[in-house]
Amino acid sequence: MSDALTAEVDRSACKGHGRCYMTNPEVFDCDDEGFPIVIGVASTAQELSDLERAVNNCPEQAVSALRV
Amino acid sequence: MTELRDAATADIQYDFDIHDSNAADDLFETYAEMRNRCPVAHTPHYGGHWVATKYDDIHDILRNPTVFSSESVNIPGTIGQDGPMIPIEVDPPDHGIYRKLINPLFSPKRMADLEPQIRALVNELIDQMLESNRVDFVEAFARELPSRVFLALMGWDIADASRFNEWVDLIVLGKPGASEEEATEVRTAAAMEVYAYFAEMIDDRAGSDDAEDITQILINGTFEDRELTQFEVLNILFLFLIGGLHTVQGQLAHTVIFMAENPIVRKQLATDLSLVDSAVEEMLRWESAICPARLVKEDVVLGGVQLRAGDKVLIPFTSANRDEEKFDNADTVDIAREPNPHIAFGAGNHRCVGSHLARLELRIAFEELHRRMPAYRLDPADPPVRHLSQIKGVVKLPLIIGESI
Ligand code: HEM
Ligand code: SF4
Repeated sequence: MSDALTAEVDRSACKGHGRCYMTNPEVFDCDDEGFPIVIGVASTAQELSDLERAVNNCPEQAVSALRV
Repeated sequence: MTELRDAATADIQYDFDIHDSNAADDLFETYAEMRNRCPVAHTPHYGGHWVATKYDDIHDILRNPTVFSSESVNIPGTIGQDGPMIPIEVDPPDHGIYRKLINPLFSPKRMADLEPQIRALVNELIDQMLESNRVDFVEAFARELPSRVFLALMGWDIADASRFNEWVDLIVLGKPGASEEEATEVRTAAAMEVYAYFAEMIDDRAGSDDAEDITQILINGTFEDRELTQFEVLNILFLFLIGGLHTVQGQLAHTVIFMAENPIVRKQLATDLSLVDSAVEEMLRWESAICPARLVKEDVVLGGVQLRAGDKVLIPFTSANRDEEKFDNADTVDIAREPNPHIAFGAGNHRCVGSHLARLELRIAFEELHRRMPAYRLDPADPPVRHLSQIKGVVKLPLIIGESI
């Protein structure tokens, strides 16, 4: 089992603040309306801590981190 | 079991007037006292209304538009606009239909394309400021930047910035010292001029079909299967103006006041500009300009207090963002703060649609300002003048450039 994590975004809670994709380009991209798209996994120490930041900074508590 | 309190309960009364600029200087102490003593407080002003000051209560209100409607976000009810402001005074499901049309206009990717243009505008204003060592930062920078960026975004004439500034000042600030009646008159007159300007921009586009032009996209926009009316287009444009100028102006000015007074933090930023993103977030948390209201649609209990259908509740984001239960050392600025889930741009379905643009303006401004003029201080003989209202801000900010305290 790897330590890598991916993200899940609760679509009904997410309101497109963009705090997640601003700081996590490896894991999130955004669509034309400004909503996040999960594009990858976090595996390096830096990416894992960035993903933790995304979870904690989302003002809608819409992001969770999941084991891949 | 504790008894439910209501609008008549003595110990939750608090004499608070959101439009009293004299209250601006102790605002944070006032909110801290309310959070501690009566987090859902009742004030007698403007016919009586509620003030909710805790992060969690405000967050719950924002996420429950069925009970807490945005039908009327101002106290008192009008700032000179004609009909409900779109989309800020529209509730779901209609709200979502408007947002689907507007979101792409302010998408992060579209905003990123504006970066070089914004940087050039910022540097032009800094060039001018550096020609003297004393400026009014509001006049020289904070008021100019957002209106020029807005005109650039719209593809309208940047030379019109000063007219926009005048109109928006009148609409947001009214006329200092005037009676409430006179202030409303002045606001309405300014709003009419704004609508006339917009109508001209719309007429200019008759027959053209530029798929990238925001005005054009709105003119061609639809609401479900009908076209938007001119009234709707005007209303949407009006809100871009009201939402996009004074807010950024205030945020720029509040941040510069703090940095002038706190040279250690300013130097920390100036010597490591990679901190600018988190510094922008922290300053948004520290001085959140917007304080909207919600209209209560059904009897509801909030924080042990009975609210009734028809009541209004004020939700100061600047209080939510200083709530000690949500943020450690909430009254201390930490430009590397982590985490920082502030709600300066609101939350829930009305989350500021201009937030990606605002962040870009703020980031570029603070990068260039601290790269090119790392030292500045307030003028002890001529202190800044703040104003309080539902968009709080700074009207005057005399600054001495090249010196530090
Ligand atoms: C630092 C700058 C800004 C701050 C602090 C700010 C804050 C806010 C807040 C708190 C709301 C939600 C109000 C509510 O829930 O009732 C909002 C909504 C809005 N803002 Fe901003 N804003 C800023 C900049 C801008 C800019 C640059 C624009 C666009 C040009 C803009 C346009 C809007 C619009 C159109 C809405 C209504 C959204 C809706 O109701 O769905 N704002 N803003
Ligand atoms: S930070 Fe939260 S609300 Fe914002 S885009 Fe990401 S998931 Fe959505």
